[in-house]
Amino acid sequence: MNVPIILSVILFLLMLVIGRGKGVRSFLSLFLNFIVMLLIIVLMTNVEYNPIILTMIACILVSCINLFFINEVNQKTVTAFIATMITTGILLVFIYYITKVAMIQGFGEEEIDEIVSVYSIEVGVDFLKLATAVIILSTVAAIVDVSISITSPMAEIYKHHPEITRKELFKSGVTIGKDILGSNANTLFFAFIGGYLALLLWFKDLSYSFSQIVNSKIFASEMMMIFFAGIGIALVIPIAAFINAYYLTKSKKETDSRVQ
Amino acid sequence: MFYLLGVKTMRQRGQLIFYGLFIFSMIMSIVFVYQNHNLYSRPIAQIISANQEDSKQVTDEYGNTDEKYTQSLTAELKNGKHAGKQIDLTNEYSFSGAYDNAFTSGDEVFVKLDENKSDSGDFAGDITGVKRDKYVMIMAWVFTLALVLVGKMQGLFTTVSLAFNIILLSFALDLYVKLGMNLIWISILLVILFTIVSLLLVNGWNEKSFAAIIATLLGTFVSVGVVYVVMLLTSEEGLLYEEMQFLTRPYTLVFLGGLLIGSLGAVMDVAISISAALFELYETNKQISMKALTASGYDIGKDIMGTMTNILLFAYISGSIPILIVYFNNHSPLGFSLSINLSLEIARALAGGIGIVLTIPIGLYVTIFFIQRKKAKQ
Repeated sequence: MNVPIILSVILFLLMLVIGRGKGVRSFLSLFLNFIVMLLIIVLMTNVEYNPIILTMIACILVSCINLFFINEVNQKTVTAFIATMITTGILLVFIYYITKVAMIQGFGEEEIDEIVSVYSIEVGVDFLKLATAVIILSTVAAIVDVSISITSPMAEIYKHHPEITRKELFKSGVTIGKDILGSNANTLFFAFIGGYLALLLWFKDLSYSFSQIVNSKIFASEMMMIFFAGIGIALVIPIAAFINAYYLTKSKKETDSRVQ
Repeated sequence: MFYLLGVKTMRQRGQLIFYGLFIFSMIMSIVFVYQNHNLYSRPIAQIISANQEDSKQVTDEYGNTDEKYTQSLTAELKNGKHAGKQIDLTNEYSFSGAYDNAFTSGDEVFVKLDENKSDSGDFAGDITGVKRDKYVMIMAWVFTLALVLVGKMQGLFTTVSLAFNIILLSFALDLYVKLGMNLIWISILLVILFTIVSLLLVNGWNEKSFAAIIATLLGTFVSVGVVYVVMLLTSEEGLLYEEMQFLTRPYTLVFLGGLLIGSLGAVMDVAISISAALFELYETNKQISMKALTASGYDIGKDIMGTMTNILLFAYISGSIPILIVYFNNHSPLGFSLSINLSLEIARALAGGIGIVLTIPIGLYVTIFFIQRKKAKQ
């Protein structure tokens, strides 16, 4: 038997026992997300398609799976979806620019020999755009998570205090966001570090100096990934809170006028 | 009344000083990285002009076409005994840019200096790397600024705990590389320290945090234990360590160390979400039954386990996109490309997911234990 398959079975059983119906759906969403990723990666091999456009399509699909499939289509998930799209759109431009000037696309000198000894790396695909895709896709699920974690309790607050003003509602949304900001940044931070432990060890083995580490492509791109993850999570908080506050109080005015 | 007014202005003054210091250190450190050439022993050159010499189309054996360009660059040396002198460089780059870059004037690069002067009287040399420290510094500040602006104190604490954890990690890896301590023990020690520092800094010194710390540690160790048992029983079939080939260290240990650290953040998130919610429920209604608490704990857990596992999946798999494109465009079979490049990432995500789900009941019962202890004390 094969380790990933056994681990999948264990995870499925655990999700089923603890989460019941929702657990099964969570496991399915994992599977669907993986399929979306694979599909997008396969499409990216075609030089005719722009990797950035493909990334945006991937973001839309992933948000749909994580919002509308795990939860359902309602006001909370729709505003979370809009907030996610705006945030990833802004981030994309920013990430592309920084990736370009810092030249962190492609492979580092530490790993290139292994690759070029067997494979041709001149494959005509723009690696700068791929690097942008890597950074945005590594964070998109966390951005979705933060935005739904804000819009859903905001809707609750509004339900219990319908007299609340738009500004107050926005403020309470940002306060909720503040509490989850740290733990979400941590989740991504440790995942990145755990995934790159081997490379970090290699830096130490090569006894790189501090300046060599800071300027190396692999380290710089890894740090950018952590930084953009944090920026994305921070950025989506006011955006989600604003859109949701606007949307909730707007529908109130409409119902008020209808009552009158 | 006046006293209160005084406190208010004191606090405002404190805030003003804080923001002042913040902006001051930001500006100073950015000015510093733009002017630190003399701290480098490697020669650095700044490109003054770039001319594209020629371009040609290349096609590899699989029919991938790419454009290759050659540019001749003139640059000015920024440090060392030849600072201020000009240097001629040649740079080859491709359209795809997997391992090369086009340079434009203003870019700073590390060069290997050839002391013989060329025909034009300038130095010659080769580009050995790009100076990236300034971009890392700028982005570190944008990151800090974003977190502090949105999260205020919590944002600041998050940044501080991240910085502290990076230093701790670097120190621990030194212990491993230089003293040869067992990587698993170092990782376990790191996990304990990371958990305590992150949770106490972000959530404060209280029972909510203590319950979350214990639940996190139990959840992490139990889930990695489960994965380890599976690895033993299958003799690690299906885990391909090719991506660690460069390492002259036992792959399995490095992988397990990475598992311990990698799922930690997600497990912490689940543990603190559950303990915070249950304590909140208990504080608002001290008469709440343990059965009701258990039910709400499971409800919260159910809501977060899917999204948390998805976060890990994306964080792990995205990094493999470029290498997968290379494999696919070199006509490697799909199954082979995926297992070589994704088997460890998928295993990491699944292990993290197992950690997340296991932490739900663990966090629940640990928190209830703390609540009952608190109840008994009162």
